[in-house]
Amino acid sequence: MLKKPMKKPGIAINSARCMACYACFMACKDEHCGWDSALTKSQPELGQYWMNIVEWERGDNTRRVKTATVPTPCSHCDNPACMAAAKDGAVYKRPDGIVIIDPEKAVGQKQIVDACPIHAVYWNEDLNLPQKCTMCAELLDDPDYPGFEPRCVEACPNQALVFGDLADPDSEISKLIAANKVTQLEALGDMGSSVVHLNIPSAFLAGTVAYPKELEEVCIGAKVKITCAETGETHEMETNWAGDYEFEDLPKEKTWTVEISYPGFKPVRYENERTDHDHYVGITYLEQAE
Amino acid sequence: MAEQVSMRSVSKDERITHSVCVGGPMTLHTYNGVIRRVRPIVLTDDDPAGWVIKARGKQYTPQRKTTMSLLGYCERDKTYAYDRLKYPMIREDFVETPDGKNRNTENRGKSGYRRASWDEALSLVAREIKRLHKTYGKETITACTSSHHSWGLVGYKISLFKRFFSMMGYTRIADNPDSWEGFHWGTPHSYGYYWRLGGPEPYDMLEMAMQNAETIICWSTDPDTSRGGYSAQESALWRWWMKEMGIEFIYIDPFNNYTSVKHADKWIGPRMGTDSAILEAIAYVWITEGTYDKEYIKQHGHRFKEFEDHILGLGPDGTPKTPKWAEELSLVPAMDIKAIARRWASTVTTGGSGMRGGFGGACRHSNGTEYARLMTLLFAMQGMGKPGRAFWSPACGGPMNYNFWFGGYSDPLSSIAGAPICDDVPVNSVEQVLYRPNLPDAILDGHYEWYGEGFCGGGVDLEFTRHVYPAPGYNKVHCFWRYGGSFFGTMLDTNKWAKMYKSPELEFVINQDIYMTPETRHADVILPACSNLERIDIGEVGNSGNGGYCSHSQTGNSWQVIVYQDKAIEPMWDSRSDFWIFSQVAARLGWGERFTEGRTEEEWAKRFWQFSDLPKHISWEDFKKKGYYIPPVSYKEENKDPETGLYENWDRYPGFQWYAENRPCDTMNHKVFQEEGKLGTFSGKFEFVSESLTYWAPDDEARRPIPQYQDSWEGHKSLSADKFPYGLISPHPRFDYHTHYNQHAKWLWEIPKNRVIINGNPYLVCHINPKVAEQKGIKDGDVVRLFNDRGSVLCVARVSYRLNPETIHAYTSSGIYNPINYGEYMSWDKGGSINVLTPGRLIGDYVPAMAPYSCNIDIEKCDADPNYGQGFEHILDAVDKQQLETARPIRTSAEADLLWGEREQILRKEAV
Repeated sequence: MLKKPMKKPGIAINSARCMACYACFMACKDEHCGWDSALTKSQPELGQYWMNIVEWERGDNTRRVKTATVPTPCSHCDNPACMAAAKDGAVYKRPDGIVIIDPEKAVGQKQIVDACPIHAVYWNEDLNLPQKCTMCAELLDDPDYPGFEPRCVEACPNQALVFGDLADPDSEISKLIAANKVTQLEALGDMGSSVVHLNIPSAFLAGTVAYPKELEEVCIGAKVKITCAETGETHEMETNWAGDYEFEDLPKEKTWTVEISYPGFKPVRYENERTDHDHYVGITYLEQAE
Repeated sequence: MAEQVSMRSVSKDERITHSVCVGGPMTLHTYNGVIRRVRPIVLTDDDPAGWVIKARGKQYTPQRKTTMSLLGYCERDKTYAYDRLKYPMIREDFVETPDGKNRNTENRGKSGYRRASWDEALSLVAREIKRLHKTYGKETITACTSSHHSWGLVGYKISLFKRFFSMMGYTRIADNPDSWEGFHWGTPHSYGYYWRLGGPEPYDMLEMAMQNAETIICWSTDPDTSRGGYSAQESALWRWWMKEMGIEFIYIDPFNNYTSVKHADKWIGPRMGTDSAILEAIAYVWITEGTYDKEYIKQHGHRFKEFEDHILGLGPDGTPKTPKWAEELSLVPAMDIKAIARRWASTVTTGGSGMRGGFGGACRHSNGTEYARLMTLLFAMQGMGKPGRAFWSPACGGPMNYNFWFGGYSDPLSSIAGAPICDDVPVNSVEQVLYRPNLPDAILDGHYEWYGEGFCGGGVDLEFTRHVYPAPGYNKVHCFWRYGGSFFGTMLDTNKWAKMYKSPELEFVINQDIYMTPETRHADVILPACSNLERIDIGEVGNSGNGGYCSHSQTGNSWQVIVYQDKAIEPMWDSRSDFWIFSQVAARLGWGERFTEGRTEEEWAKRFWQFSDLPKHISWEDFKKKGYYIPPVSYKEENKDPETGLYENWDRYPGFQWYAENRPCDTMNHKVFQEEGKLGTFSGKFEFVSESLTYWAPDDEARRPIPQYQDSWEGHKSLSADKFPYGLISPHPRFDYHTHYNQHAKWLWEIPKNRVIINGNPYLVCHINPKVAEQKGIKDGDVVRLFNDRGSVLCVARVSYRLNPETIHAYTSSGIYNPINYGEYMSWDKGGSINVLTPGRLIGDYVPAMAPYSCNIDIEKCDADPNYGQGFEHILDAVDKQQLETARPIRTSAEADLLWGEREQILRKEAV
């Protein structure tokens, strides 16, 4: 039990705020490499990333590139697949929701690794043992330990990781979750978990509008409207000071029509722009209307 | 390394101490004499209330804990690293010949070592020093340190190292300002500030920007990576505050860097070295559209008309500096340049380059001084110093208590080599000096000439001091004492350094370090120092001091933290503190007492407490016990907001505001003439035509009186571009600090953007555009060879849209230098030591600055078997063969592939 009692301790991970600075990743290694704890055997020096940072590049053109950065520890699922796969109760869920692999009972049970839908359980070849994040519960239980947060949360300079009681609606973490878009890892489906991901980006459609090429001028204030062929949803915006438009967080794997208009110029229409991945439509050079 | 001890059984023997590294302040938990963990400092009720910045209807206050960058969290891994030096060692085939000849110097870098006792090693060092002194004189010994391999006022290079070598007498090696060359050699001629080595005033700029700025331009800067120099990850949160309040961020950098890719509303990536052309084109837009601050320029600009003529094409070159002209050079569309120029002019814009406003990679180019001068002049054209219109990049400039004094590392008052800290102030009796970037040339050629002191904080005239090596009446250097960190990795044209070490001119090479670095590997005698965590010191986080550099750099942190850097563990194996090593040598030379003044390291540390403001607030005993002290931003209770208890007021001196408002300068670290409202240039104004350059160096080809774009001596138009068509961008690393971490802290190798382990070798990552990948048949994750006439480096390619096809990105300061044939000149390097490729050439005859951004390379898929050669194993061998057994498990290439390719793909697909 945590020394600062909580009904459901959890971590909110705000992907929008994560810079992938790797402080959490290193703090986790610092805590768990080379030292056994009350709840787990030590993490090997190399090869496991209990606080893994999944990072991918967004965009298909140098004119608009972003990265998505998603710290991905064990989600401490409400119905853990690893627990279902484990024999002899080798994986158990504490009353506070933290999921722990028993380092004695789990020896030899490689299926625990394979069962995890988000690949957050690692196989220790030397110890013949599955291992993963403990939410630093062994520290938070320990009355002699001076801290009150898991190591990764304590290390985060951006407040992208927030620790608190999910069961208390007035806690900082509950307020943060309420104020942001919850983006549960897709592989977990509808299942709840004690690690809650926020603001993982979906896909963007972006582009630039410019006056006829020889003028070498971006077009500010052009109207851009996108329509989804499948759902019929539309979004509108005007190009900014750089002539750029960007529709962020669109549903993925959809087909879009992009319509661009500006008074005095011929309207432009693009069909079949896809959001299979983040996509830059291109530079649109307007033509004078006749 | 750490013994596996069950946590419960030892918790009673836990010790908590504190220290500082370039990654930030540390809380160290030690169990039974073994470091257990490294944490940030979590503030308690004993610590003061924080500051609050009120901006746009919201209140912003820092977290009640300090931050560490990832490097701080690697300190345990680094302390128990496999490549620690355990014992004094002597090169196997070193022969102590009485005349210093025939010592098999050609085998340096190849030969192994034998273990020696401290007595044997120190006696050898002392005997050699005496022989060298007798044969050639004191000037025959030279010595040099890298920067920031340790932290603390007792042990830092300007303190301990300086004390020892000044007392002994030696040929000093002047450092070049390698991180911000263009600003150091450029901006004193446009806006003064030579005493800040070209950097601007950051004071209270965070609050000014948060309250006033609408646009922030980060030009050639990656603040999340350079971290204000050594200010941990503190300013990261500030930038989120500014981003989330709606300030528009523009990033200009050939690589869409790590801050840019998350924060930028607009990123442009100019071709390498063409930043000046874009700046001139922006000036063109403003001048032709009349959108600069004409009143300000009338009052504060010097010879603006000539600059205007130059920009409009009415000057001698007859070329109007139009956006189209800049597009042809930079490949950035003219429409984007115009859009940025108009955004900059029409909104309240703050901006800068590099960690404290004045650094950043673009200034480390043959055209870097001109880029730096143009940056300052353009910010002047928009009224620099008016609210929110600052020359500042969002890293330093947080609120600070300027009334509390504790010395920084470059403070003349904060060194055990100076008063008042020591009683016996040593003075170096040798006037001969060498210059670091050209040390190999001086040794190999026996003669070298250059202009300029390394750091010219004393005035622009120092830039034009002529030096000759050997200095008249002096003997050449025959002994090199290398201390701390590796220059293989940071100094350019690395192969030249490898060659230097083989020269018989160097009769004796000593290396005193904590680790078996690539450079340690070239020594005759190795003296193993203990780490920062194994000795006592004292220091303030991020405080560079007033002696040069950029004073008040601790404003990069939300909290001012002065730390008693207690010894967490005893020195391991036979390693000893640097202080002990130097005092032992001093004793053998007969001046041991004079060197130590009878003080222990703790007694020296106490002197810094004594001569600071600390005794007014905390006793020595309490300070030692608590481990740190944080001064509040103000000592006045009435400055607190009664509602929140946070400090809403403190003594504010916004940088440059005094100048815009025509009042005497009130900021810290100013010169007397600023009190008359003048800048530190000849005219006291912004010099659009530099009077100092016209006076001192009218024939300077690198710096013209009017700053302007010039084709590089190694760039897209030079002859070598036919053979080597890509520009190499090699910024300061995100996953290292100089060369101090990557070889030692193996955890860093698991960061996919840093390194990829293939067959046991941690290859450095380079970024290439998909077009380049297609042309060259390279796939993401392939081993590639980056090469030019100076050498070859093997990397692993990451295919990315974060840079344009004409540019290749790989971080400098690799730390690992791992030639396939160790010790062979020109051997391919597998360690990622990118500076093998960069030119040793200086920016110009009068600008003794290095220019790693002027570097043409080519790339190819590496068909050679990457298994061939394991130079790295030599490092392991040389340390201790037994250590190989305890060394880390090496991942197979199959596992590495999984890490790189599939794993990310799987997660990308399934998890999101």
